[in-house]
Amino acid sequence: MDDIEAELKIDSPGNETTNQEIIKNPLHIEAPSKYYETGFHRSSRKCLKVIRDAMLHHNWQKAAEYFTSYIQTLEDTTVTSAHLTRDVIWRLGAEILHHLANASIDDFNAVYEIMKHAGVSNYAKICLEHAFHLLLNGQSDEAKRQLSSASHWRYGKLTDAQSLEMKLIHAYCGFLDYFIWSNKISTTPETEDVSSLQEISMYFRQASVTLQEIITRPGIWDPFVLSYITMLEHNNSLDEALKVLQNYAYNKDFPSNPNAHVYLYQFLKRHNAPQSALISSLRILHSAVPSHKLMLEFCSLLLKKHQDTALKEALCACMDLLEFSSWKCDRDAWKCLLKILQRPKNEHNMVKEEWAVRRSLWMAFHFRPYIIKTESQKDVRLWRIKERVLKLLGEDLHIEDTRKSPSGQRDRHHNASEDNVDGDSRRGPARNSNSSFKRDESKAAREGNAAGLRDRLTDFTHRKRPINTLNSTGQLVPVGFIPDV
Amino acid sequence: MDEYLTDGYSEPCAQCAAVDWGVSNEGQFFCKNCYNVTEKMREVTDEFTLYIKNSRISRIAKPMKTEKKCAREWMVCEGFQVVLKCQADALVSLGVCLQFKTEVLWNFWTRYLQNTRQAFVSNPISTVDQNSESESETESVVCSEYSFWNGAPSEAGEVKDSGSSTGGRSGSLDALSYSHRVDRKTYNVMTMPRTLALCYLALLWVREAITLADLLRLVKERHVPYLNIHDNFPEDMKLFGRDSLIFRVDSIPSYSTVHKEAVDLAQVMKLPAFPMVSQDCLLHPIPLTVRYLLESNLPDGLLVWVHKVIDEASMGDDSFLTFDPVKQKPALVCYDIQAAAVIIVTMKLLFKLDDRVEWTSSGKAASEKKKKVFNVERWYKVMQPAFERARQKMEREEARQLWKSHKPFITSLKDKSLVFKKRRVVNHLQHRFQKLTDSTPEQQCFTTTAFSSFHFHWGKEQGSDGPSLHQHRLHCTFKKKGVKRLTNRKYWHTVLSVCPPTCSNHFSEIEASLPRMYVWLLDLFSFLLGVSQAQVHKEVLNVERCLMERELLSVSKETPSPKKRTKKPRKI
Repeated sequence: MDDIEAELKIDSPGNETTNQEIIKNPLHIEAPSKYYETGFHRSSRKCLKVIRDAMLHHNWQKAAEYFTSYIQTLEDTTVTSAHLTRDVIWRLGAEILHHLANASIDDFNAVYEIMKHAGVSNYAKICLEHAFHLLLNGQSDEAKRQLSSASHWRYGKLTDAQSLEMKLIHAYCGFLDYFIWSNKISTTPETEDVSSLQEISMYFRQASVTLQEIITRPGIWDPFVLSYITMLEHNNSLDEALKVLQNYAYNKDFPSNPNAHVYLYQFLKRHNAPQSALISSLRILHSAVPSHKLMLEFCSLLLKKHQDTALKEALCACMDLLEFSSWKCDRDAWKCLLKILQRPKNEHNMVKEEWAVRRSLWMAFHFRPYIIKTESQKDVRLWRIKERVLKLLGEDLHIEDTRKSPSGQRDRHHNASEDNVDGDSRRGPARNSNSSFKRDESKAAREGNAAGLRDRLTDFTHRKRPINTLNSTGQLVPVGFIPDV
Repeated sequence: MDEYLTDGYSEPCAQCAAVDWGVSNEGQFFCKNCYNVTEKMREVTDEFTLYIKNSRISRIAKPMKTEKKCAREWMVCEGFQVVLKCQADALVSLGVCLQFKTEVLWNFWTRYLQNTRQAFVSNPISTVDQNSESESETESVVCSEYSFWNGAPSEAGEVKDSGSSTGGRSGSLDALSYSHRVDRKTYNVMTMPRTLALCYLALLWVREAITLADLLRLVKERHVPYLNIHDNFPEDMKLFGRDSLIFRVDSIPSYSTVHKEAVDLAQVMKLPAFPMVSQDCLLHPIPLTVRYLLESNLPDGLLVWVHKVIDEASMGDDSFLTFDPVKQKPALVCYDIQAAAVIIVTMKLLFKLDDRVEWTSSGKAASEKKKKVFNVERWYKVMQPAFERARQKMEREEARQLWKSHKPFITSLKDKSLVFKKRRVVNHLQHRFQKLTDSTPEQQCFTTTAFSSFHFHWGKEQGSDGPSLHQHRLHCTFKKKGVKRLTNRKYWHTVLSVCPPTCSNHFSEIEASLPRMYVWLLDLFSFLLGVSQAQVHKEVLNVERCLMERELLSVSKETPSPKKRTKKPRKI
């Protein structure tokens, strides 16, 4: 740390500026037409282009060779945004190392260490990535050591500029404490050894203090909340846990997060909460994600209440669910709908109203002749349920569909249908374009939300190396340890 | 180790005046340059007495190696002298006659210094004094007080320096005034591209076969030192601060820059007319065209026609070719580009190159079933892949070229640690990745390979770029009524009127409308010479102008020259 002054004056602090700067002055790959380019810059521009092409073609060996030459751009004296170059070198280097077959963990450690100290404007980010890399390789102790040393890092203004990353480092420190604690709990059950008990309680204390502090800040903290709740449950402080979960779910400062409601519901269910509490938590989830799989439980809970309003709510929830293409052929959902319709108390008006609104969509979406035909051949049980539902809704299928009866076998070989294809892709419902009733729009918005969320979740859970992102509202979205929802 | 032993002993050797001392086993000083042993002994007594006096020694301090002792005062022009010497040495080791270094370049250099009144005159412009008048007070104080960089500057210097970002100090005495001169043109200060221009002029004077394109290629492939020249500076000349502005190089100057600088320098130095460029000199278009014909795998038979074009355009004249800076408008012929242009004009004459005739006539030649007859299509098929390979190789080399030296420039004391840190980081990372890829950077590749003035090798041997077409016969004339005529009857050219000097080149505008074959040929030769296509095109126009002038002259005199070919200039 001999060059604090020099570093401070040269680096304009802030990671937020980095992103903007990349957008404003990206590293050029094409030849500039307006200004004179020195030979050195031309070389590095061409080199970067070759590296990019090699990476796109997964020719990692070639990319590494050219990267060796590209490293010299760090010594560029004319580039004003020196930290941009360092950023590029760090990202390229890490990416290439990940794909080189003969790269050892030592290489990773060395490169991360060098890049961390090369330009400290990215120190925290690189530390986090380093820790994630270690975690992926199963070196959780080493990762813990890295993070805790990083959390004590101070570098004048530059530390403040990276407060976001420092917060994350802090959070992951706590998370790893929890990780170690839960490992120890499960591997050494019921020890009488005082020292080991003390160690366990130390980890417990460290983790709970950190996590408690972290999850009070607005943001999406799913893995951290879950681990904190586990710890509280272990400690039998259920009220505290409930408070945390309720805050996480209902606090207006937090970004909307369906998982929060799921966690709350699961917690309530685990601890035998009254039905009304369960229903109210699911009701909010329904408004946020109508296609969530907990909606079936929601319906069955509502059915237990034997009230007209509850019945109507259940009907709506179930029909909402079935309007999503991912649920379109789900037998349980149809069964649930059948059950609701078969209720003796079932008021005719209520169903009729609901059906009148949805009829045009449903007839096209669920009861098109082609769908009926393929379904009656492929999944007869589902078709039977649907048939009964239709009957209870007061529609006569055979008026529309006398000729193309389910037993018609003319087009058996022709079964590639778009409806079957998108059965798996969990998107919004395939809508008929003519059906333009009012509730369509609000639903479309909701679906968009749900679909976007789901994409995000699946995207992140499939990501190899977790990266922390900011969501659209600018709040923290730490990802990487999100459990499957 | 020796520096430690010699303890900064900096007396010049009595025999060879070098300061390069070593210590023999007996503790006697000897000159490493001429092996002259002096009577000076290494002083070891101090330590012994110290040891005896207080039998407890806490620490044996190494003698303080102050920079002051090993750095000496030097001027910027001295630095350039070192640069020129390095370049001259490299050229001599490449086979240029020794006279080039000992007589011509040295003479040019002294002439330059005299004419710009930097040295060798009774009343030189003192750059250091000049500076104190023109520059602000504080800076000049800094400059004169801390004129050379010492490792531990006093507080006062630091305080003064902290205000400016680049720092007013430099290793040399007069770097500040050198880089600060308001009008650098009027003072004709030396620059790095100008060292090459000077070398080129000297090469021209001794009539060496190295053209400007060759020289630049030598520089690019690091056979002639130019990049990171400060690595070659002697130990006691420290580069620091503003020196980096003068001596740091981050691109190799273009052909046109050096050419222009050479003309300027020749005028500044008030050089007399250069030695004749006659036929025995390799810069004469006839031997040069032979070289480029060989390089581009064209048949030897073309040489006859090339000679005819040179004669017709009266470009073989000594007066046309010889550089004379004394003239009103001195013109330094671009010998290499001109030779390439002559070849292109000849090709246009014989094959028209309008994307039609050259292909159909080559079909005719092939149908005559004479095996060794040159045809453009076959030539193109042989040439194009080799050209493409060479171009890709060049691109690769360019992308992997290393520009930074192991000895980084330090622009200011404040940045010193940062610069060294960057250097360390780069070194570390490069070692890591080199280990992973087993690759060596391009710099080493360049220097280890021997220099060849040819890009391509044609023939049947291993490693050649393709079959040689040199022996193929040209078949482009026919006899009619006893007179030999060219099969190609027409010639095209672009607008030949001379543009005013303010006009830049129009090549980029008309490039799209030109025949592709012609552009490809320009491309080929511009690649071989390392210049832009526009430059080659310009030179083609020059040759065509020369031809036209001759024609008009002959027409006006009404003496029909016995021409075998008819030319119908056509504008496109």
